[in-house]
Amino acid sequence: MKKILITTLVLVLVITYSYAQDTPAPEPFTPSKTQFMVRGYAHAGLNYKKTGDEVESTFVGTTFNPLFIFKHGDRLLFESELAFSFEDGQLDIGFEYANMSYLINDYMTIRMGKMLLPFGTFIERLHPSWVNKFANAPLGFGHGGIAPASGIGVEMRGAIPVGSMKILYSVYATNGPVLNTGMDAEGNFDEPDEAGQLMFNNFEDNNNKKGYGGRLGILPFANSSVEIGGSIYGGAVGDRGSSYGNIGAMLYAVDFSFVRQVSAVRGIVDVKAQYNLSNVDQATYIEPADDPLDPDEAYTFENSSNAYFAQASYRPTMAGNDVMKNFEVAYRYSAFNAPEGAEWEQQSTQWSVALNYYMNWRTLFKLSYQSTSQVGGHGVPEGETVQTDGIFVHWALGF
Amino acid sequence: MKNIKTLFVFLLPLAVGLILASSCASSKITMKSGAQLWGENCVRCHATPSPSAYNDIDWETIGLHMRIRANLTAEETNKIVEFLQSAN
Repeated sequence: MKKILITTLVLVLVITYSYAQDTPAPEPFTPSKTQFMVRGYAHAGLNYKKTGDEVESTFVGTTFNPLFIFKHGDRLLFESELAFSFEDGQLDIGFEYANMSYLINDYMTIRMGKMLLPFGTFIERLHPSWVNKFANAPLGFGHGGIAPASGIGVEMRGAIPVGSMKILYSVYATNGPVLNTGMDAEGNFDEPDEAGQLMFNNFEDNNNKKGYGGRLGILPFANSSVEIGGSIYGGAVGDRGSSYGNIGAMLYAVDFSFVRQVSAVRGIVDVKAQYNLSNVDQATYIEPADDPLDPDEAYTFENSSNAYFAQASYRPTMAGNDVMKNFEVAYRYSAFNAPEGAEWEQQSTQWSVALNYYMNWRTLFKLSYQSTSQVGGHGVPEGETVQTDGIFVHWALGF
Repeated sequence: MKNIKTLFVFLLPLAVGLILASSCASSKITMKSGAQLWGENCVRCHATPSPSAYNDIDWETIGLHMRIRANLTAEETNKIVEFLQSAN
């Protein structure tokens, strides 16, 4: 019996040892050079607006912006962002950007495709709902605004440290903006109320003349708390072969940023501002007659517009109370002045105040009150000032 | 059109100058830690990300994305990513 037990034990040990010899030890995990991520952001909320006696109260959302990132090795990146929203009973899909980048050296990157333009800082850095401290963009951005959001072309960008300072730069060439003449290619009226505005989604160059632009930003202090930037963007904007073929436009922007945790106030103070100026060469446009028997009327105007915003926020990140340190208060003032004599002439001002709560670093609840005063523009009777007050409750999330 | 030519004349030397400058840049970034760069740079646009939000591989990808988006240098990016990977 004892011999059988010893023999069995020896056999088990021999078999186990042989098996262990045949099974290789697991190798440490080595990630592949190619990586893919889906990131993005979304928001939903409730908008309440009151204009005179007219009240609009509606839930909005969910706006969903997935961002696809493909990392091909250490130097090559492709990224694209789409914007899904529900408008007028239909799913609307926006094509925000799609571009590929190559790191040339430690301080320089080249990229090509459809890209957010570094014209100031709001569009490129601050517009995502989980970054924007308010429910919407300042006046002068978006449809009918004067600040370009994106362009199709090629860009060289990067940063260069100079002593304790840092210089950020970007130079780019795109298809350039397009002039809205109020007429389509066949000479029929098409959005005549927007004649003289610039459109920035130029998927095919309308005149074979590129738009050129750039931004230079300086961070003068070693702690990177202050940034001052200047942007310029311009080119021919009229359609090739049309009477607007020689019309050009020049856009300028200056921006400022101060962000710093200030011990004296036990929290983060964040101040940002941007001023945009748009100058389009003077041109003649046609206003359709109200009565078909009357002749249409030609008119012109000095096509210069400006828009600006300034905002400040405070978050008591050094507060002893864990709840208090997640609150933030913010204030923003913005204005938009469209050219006198244009069908879209308007002078608008807006102020907003917000109380935000950060559930974590990328999720926040935004409660804001906004007051807008508008003279001129769509739907505003001549000579009247329209006042719109609104309350917005938004939940924004980055992922 | 004159404005456009002026713009081109302004941007071309700027582009050439930047290429030359980028090949011989000096910096005091070398004196900063990854944690310090994380605290100084991310907050310029959004709240500082929690290191535990992503794993080591994801931080590499996000680092490359943010290097381009936020105009970071290679050294800044590497230090920030290494800090996030060490603290997640």
